Amino acid sequence: MAILERHQEEVAIQGGELPEILLPTNCPGCGIALQPDALRAHNYVCTECGHHFRLGADVWISLLADKGSWQERWSDVRSHDLLNWTVPKPYQETVERLLEDGLNEAVRTGTCTLDGKPIWLATFDFGFVGGTLSIVAGERLARGMEQAALSGAPYVLVSASGGARMQEGVLALMQLAKVNAAVGRLHASGAPFFSVLTDPTFGGTAASLALLGDINIAEPGAAIGFTGPRVIKQATYADLPPGFQSAEFQLAHGQVDLVRSRTELRPLLAHLLEMYS
Amino acid sequence: MSVWEIVELARHPERPYSLDYIRRLAPDFIELHGDRLSADDPALVGGIGTWHDRTTLFLGHQKGRSVKERVARNWGMMHPEGYRKALRLAHHAAKFGFPIVSLIDTPGAYPGAGAEERGIAAAIANAIMEWFRIPVPIVAAVIGEGGSGGALGMGVADRVIMLENSIYSVASPEAAASIVWRDNSRKVEAAEQLQLTSREIIAMGVVEEVVPEPKGSASADYDAAAAALDEALHRHMRPLLEQPSVELLQHRYDRFRYIDSLIQAEPHFGPKID
Repeated sequence: MAILERHQEEVAIQGGELPEILLPTNCPGCGIALQPDALRAHNYVCTECGHHFRLGADVWISLLADKGSWQERWSDVRSHDLLNWTVPKPYQETVERLLEDGLNEAVRTGTCTLDGKPIWLATFDFGFVGGTLSIVAGERLARGMEQAALSGAPYVLVSASGGARMQEGVLALMQLAKVNAAVGRLHASGAPFFSVLTDPTFGGTAASLALLGDINIAEPGAAIGFTGPRVIKQATYADLPPGFQSAEFQLAHGQVDLVRSRTELRPLLAHLLEMYS
Repeated sequence: MSVWEIVELARHPERPYSLDYIRRLAPDFIELHGDRLSADDPALVGGIGTWHDRTTLFLGHQKGRSVKERVARNWGMMHPEGYRKALRLAHHAAKFGFPIVSLIDTPGAYPGAGAEERGIAAAIANAIMEWFRIPVPIVAAVIGEGGSGGALGMGVADRVIMLENSIYSVASPEAAASIVWRDNSRKVEAAEQLQLTSREIIAMGVVEEVVPEPKGSASADYDAAAAALDEALHRHMRPLLEQPSVELLQHRYDRFRYIDSLIQAEPHFGPKID
């Protein structure tokens, strides 16, 4: 317990250092007027209702990496318009605008320490074309996993993704195979793989690496599944019950090991890293 | 021919389905059923047959021709049990050293509540990962629709070929239209953007060969289509049978690990390698 308590304290410190994010004035979960600083200190989890706000890759890196330890890799690989995709929006323009906004693709990866233990960290960014799996995303994931398999370092993944990126066509689909080949290598190497599933994790991302962790940890209320509810309703005219495809639903259906609040995530991962070292 | 006409040919109700090919390739085919956990998925057929003097495992998505059969086969859309059956049979093939032929013809995995409840995402994820560990040769062919993760879940192989009028896509044109335009009636535009025809797919380096179909497409002459598929599958399978399994698995890994290398090789076109 001493270990957990020590980590709990650290969470507060870590939370205070998170970058600011764009927030609505009221919580979408309970409607309470939000206090940005208090929310930031609480890892962007509503202090009233526990609603988990979506975070970009930069916030996840600040949340999980020990201060000053993050070393990003392969940040210079870039997306290009392979299929000459023009409608409804030119893909190249979309990508360039997001890069100008300071987002660097749907997946960022690198090495860092978490509570002093060296890890590989990869995090999706839902803000970049819905966190969709692209050639660049797949390349960063596969390279990082191959490196982790070689060094035996634990691999921590944070996912938030709509699936494969339509605008890269069948080559985006092929990323599922490319990444899962590397997941197989990672597992064969004996390195632990902890997968954190956040809202939302769907399609090709759920059907590739996100659910293949040695331990799958989901955030409360996160929507996780293969086919999105809109498409299921369109295809089958089914009425979906409340909570369908929530983290709690996936826990009940045997797909994730744990559902944990983001406020407990860092101490949990630190403890797991100790147990699997 | 327009892209949409090719999509319609790939989905043509008279197009030969997996069993039409398998029974011509291996007349002694014996279907084997069940995932040994809970069910048998009729959208995926699997079984053994003698093919070029060798016991071979055949797997294939199966669509139905009559309304009743279509419902029974679930339009060739697999549930999680189908992927589990496929892996069960793949391990069976590995035990006896049987090569594997996988025929792909699906709009996608089943987009329904039951599939979600029983873990379709993890079933596909696990299948894709496990194919990289099956130490016997695998040749796959897209014979109609290669739709999304549902197709790729059966499509990790040492060689992948496509029939001329088949399609392979990250999502069905309807699903892509629904995702990109939020309007699935934009399917024709989506199909054109996706570059899903065999000619476009081979240009991207995703398949090894496009097999020409008989005059008037595969639907017009099942025997000729099966003979062409048989010849191409066997030509790709033959050298694989000689390969030690360690080498086979390494090549399979490299095939998918660097599948976008045609794109990467272009300096201004795709990720830069450092």
